[in-house]
Amino acid sequence: MKNLDSVFAAYLVGWGVFFVFYLTIAKRTSNLRAELDRLKNSLPRAK
Amino acid sequence: MSLFSNTAVLLSKELRTEFRSRELLTTTVVFILVVLILFSFAISPTTEESREFGPGLLWLAILFAASLMLQPCFLREQNNDTLSSLRLAVSDPFSIFLAKLIANTLFLLLTELIMLPFFAIFYNVPILPEIHWLVLVLFLGSLGISVAGTALSAISAQARMRELLLPLLLLPLLTPVLVVSATVTVSLFEREPIVKGKGIAFLAVFDVVFLTALWLFGEYLLEE
Amino acid sequence: MSKRIILAAVAILLVIAAAYASFFLAPEERTMGLIQRIFYFHAATAWAGEMTFFVCFLANLLYVWKRQPKYDWLGVSSAEVGLACITVVLITGPIWAHPVWGIWWTWDARLTSTFVLWLLYVSYLLLRTLIEEPERRALLSALFGIFAFLDVPLVFFSIRWWRTQHPQPVIMGGSGSGLDPTMSKVFFFSVLAMHVLAAFLIVERYVLEKMNSELDFLAREVEAQ
Repeated sequence: MKNLDSVFAAYLVGWGVFFVFYLTIAKRTSNLRAELDRLKNSLPRAK
Repeated sequence: MSLFSNTAVLLSKELRTEFRSRELLTTTVVFILVVLILFSFAISPTTEESREFGPGLLWLAILFAASLMLQPCFLREQNNDTLSSLRLAVSDPFSIFLAKLIANTLFLLLTELIMLPFFAIFYNVPILPEIHWLVLVLFLGSLGISVAGTALSAISAQARMRELLLPLLLLPLLTPVLVVSATVTVSLFEREPIVKGKGIAFLAVFDVVFLTALWLFGEYLLEE
Repeated sequence: MSKRIILAAVAILLVIAAAYASFFLAPEERTMGLIQRIFYFHAATAWAGEMTFFVCFLANLLYVWKRQPKYDWLGVSSAEVGLACITVVLITGPIWAHPVWGIWWTWDARLTSTFVLWLLYVSYLLLRTLIEEPERRALLSALFGIFAFLDVPLVFFSIRWWRTQHPQPVIMGGSGSGLDPTMSKVFFFSVLAMHVLAAFLIVERYVLEKMNSELDFLAREVEAQ
């Protein structure tokens, strides 16, 4: 099939960009959640 | 009308500050000259090519020069801590912007007019036949550059890396001005300039849109 | 939490369904053949990108008016998602163009305007990284966002006018002009799918930004003690 590799590349790159974007968000979210829990625990102790 | 009188007072302050030293004007003129010469080294245009590409290069040089020239606009106020007293002195914060953008337009226009003879000679363009239209295009283009530039200068003055930030914000925003001004200027040097009407109208629309936006949102740009 | 998971699931399903429709339900285009099917993904993403920038514009206006942080969170989220969409458009466009027309890029109205749009929103996000104080950052980026959005139609019309003075090859000529009915349906289904995907990504990014803000607040409280 003519140009199949181009079609493949386009969909791969396209979905790839969105997937990588989502992954960075998810990773930062889980890191933040851990950090938030840590801070919340340190708060009542200081009181 | 107090907007008018406030603006007039602030405008004369801007003009007096600049004409005392004239450093902004002279450095901008020299800068555009250097850029134009560098362009001709980079491209080595023939006479025909000079006429075709010259106006575009001129406007590009004007844009670069403006993004440097507009740096001190609000930076000067910030460094000297005069912004809060300015705000207290006027009833309408828009007059601060109006004064600065009129001053910037005049400085730019003056620079361009000084540059014109050099441009005509180096790039072999016949500027005299349509000189009145040329000045009009220069004015409307410079006004657009000043309006956007003054607004963005207020923003970049409050951020880090402001020397790099202002051109970065300003140049993409001014693409319409560059494109239309260059195209109209090229056509003015051809035998039958046919595009000038629409182009000039477009530049006027650009100016009005951004003037209105600055009028609506200007006060927020100056918030402490 | 469950609403977000449902949105994620719906988005993924729609995107897969749209891809299936693009390849197996839409008829083959006469001149370009298989590669034309990129159009459904490429153009639908472009529409979704434009919509998210409009959402960003509204969020910017609302922040300047109401000064509530949630509008700032919405602004940065929609700007980032919009930028992702436009990046996809700018990459899939040349991938489509090269086998068909032999060139990677041309300075036609749509491509050039899209590239300027990309630059404007990169500047918006860069500006945000250069201002530390949260409220100032929110206000100044909202104002720049408003100026940028007002500029977009001016950019498009100026380049289109300029291009009619200097004609160039028009790539992807009139996407809406005389589209076969099945193709239209597949296209609009793809548009729906990409919008839902964009909405899902905006929600996830918004939640992240909200948490960031909570973290700042908590960190300051801890410091105060």
